[in-house]
Amino acid sequence: MRLHTWCSLLSYGAFLAAFAAGVLFLIQERQLKRKTMGVLFRRLPALESLDRVNFCAISAGFGLLTIGATSGFIESALLRGRWWTGDPKEYLTVLLWAGYLVLWALRRRATLRGRRVALLSIAGFSLVLFTFVGAGRLVPSLHPFVRR
Amino acid sequence: MHILLVGLNHRSAPVELRERLAFRREELSATFSRLREEVGLREATILSTCNRVEIYAGAPSLDGTLERLHRFLSRHADIELSGLSPRLYSYAEPQRVVHHLFSVASGLDSMVLGEAEILHQVKEAYETARAAGATGKLLNGLFQRALNTGKTVRSRTGIGRGCTSVGTVAVQLAEKIFGDLSRAVVLLIGAGKIGELTLKRLAERGAGELRVMSRTLERSTDLAAEYRATPVPAAALPAQLLQVDIAITSTSAPVFLLRREELSLAMRQRHQRPLCIVDLGVPRNVEPSSGGLENIYLFNVDDLQALVYHHHHERQQALGESEDIINQKVEYFLTWWQSECRMMNDDVHMDA
Repeated sequence: MRLHTWCSLLSYGAFLAAFAAGVLFLIQERQLKRKTMGVLFRRLPALESLDRVNFCAISAGFGLLTIGATSGFIESALLRGRWWTGDPKEYLTVLLWAGYLVLWALRRRATLRGRRVALLSIAGFSLVLFTFVGAGRLVPSLHPFVRR
Repeated sequence: MHILLVGLNHRSAPVELRERLAFRREELSATFSRLREEVGLREATILSTCNRVEIYAGAPSLDGTLERLHRFLSRHADIELSGLSPRLYSYAEPQRVVHHLFSVASGLDSMVLGEAEILHQVKEAYETARAAGATGKLLNGLFQRALNTGKTVRSRTGIGRGCTSVGTVAVQLAEKIFGDLSRAVVLLIGAGKIGELTLKRLAERGAGELRVMSRTLERSTDLAAEYRATPVPAAALPAQLLQVDIAITSTSAPVFLLRREELSLAMRQRHQRPLCIVDLGVPRNVEPSSGGLENIYLFNVDDLQALVYHHHHERQQALGESEDIINQKVEYFLTWWQSECRMMNDDVHMDA
């Protein structure tokens, strides 16, 4: 398969990992704040580890998305003679890319940490889902992953 | 051969008595030979911890053995027999002796239900006796099975789950925030006893750097020397707040030592790096609403005690299950021992 498809899919996978780490973080944090240590408490990893996994996943996802999107534009330019086709997925991907760039930079500069990063990585992944599945359903797209 | 047990524990005797009866490690091997000569025991193991002193023995006959053992202990502790005997429990029925040892090894007879230390102590007692040549087929079989029972009970039931002291609960919480504590900087503020204990537990779990802050420099220096910590002056508190990961407050100050505003400012300055605060002060040392600040995890004495209680409750629930395992293991041992006895008798007959 093409570089474009693989990198994009892998980046979605990384964002999924960030999403999962974010959810676990929120669960664990809630237990710590409310001092209700249930069965999950013992099994879940430490907050710092979840935070670290979250950051690594976002970094990896962002890198892959950059490669995926760039190669997509190049491919399109070679194939169709224009790099921007106006496909809804292109708009969404640029939005997604910018969103994760901001999140990555904020976390990197340590302005944001913990809970808020977790929440944002969950929000980010909903956008990923929308880009992956939703966009093709709403408007005709050149990226038919899900056919009607 | 008969199985015997004479001993006392934290329920049957006060600490003043237990400490007088306790055996020092160095005197054990001499004690074994005296038990053989003066009491007529063939095999013996002495379990001597701060909560119990127990002698498990194998004797060729029951005639007056228990009485001789009582007198032996009375001489050893230098206590009148009349004062000591009522505090001692003596079992000569195999079922009761075996059941008692298996319960002890499983932590069911401990002051803190399900504690793990006792299993090591039983193991050590057995190994010392074996090394001194004081054990034979009976006690070797008995203690190996006791250790096995202790392990089985711990692994199959929740008897040892959860923490049972304020200090260990605090450590567990800190580990759930930071994971590995080896890079964590810990600051103890104040000189309270539980605070010191918590510091000790954190040190045992490999906390990276310890600092102590106390009103008097003398006390800080003492604590610092004991736990290899750095003493810091009380005036440096705001600066310390930017560096530490875990702060334990344990002072009797009548006003809040740390206010929400200060902490909020500190959190911004430390770029929201998580801060765990364990407030052991009564009245409290940290403004309670600070716990609502992002990336601050604040626990007070009541929170910790509630967790201790919760864990204790869980252990209580595992009690029935543990008893079942123990009873089954006792059955197995008794069956094994009976068949051994039969074989020994056969041997005797054949020799004759």
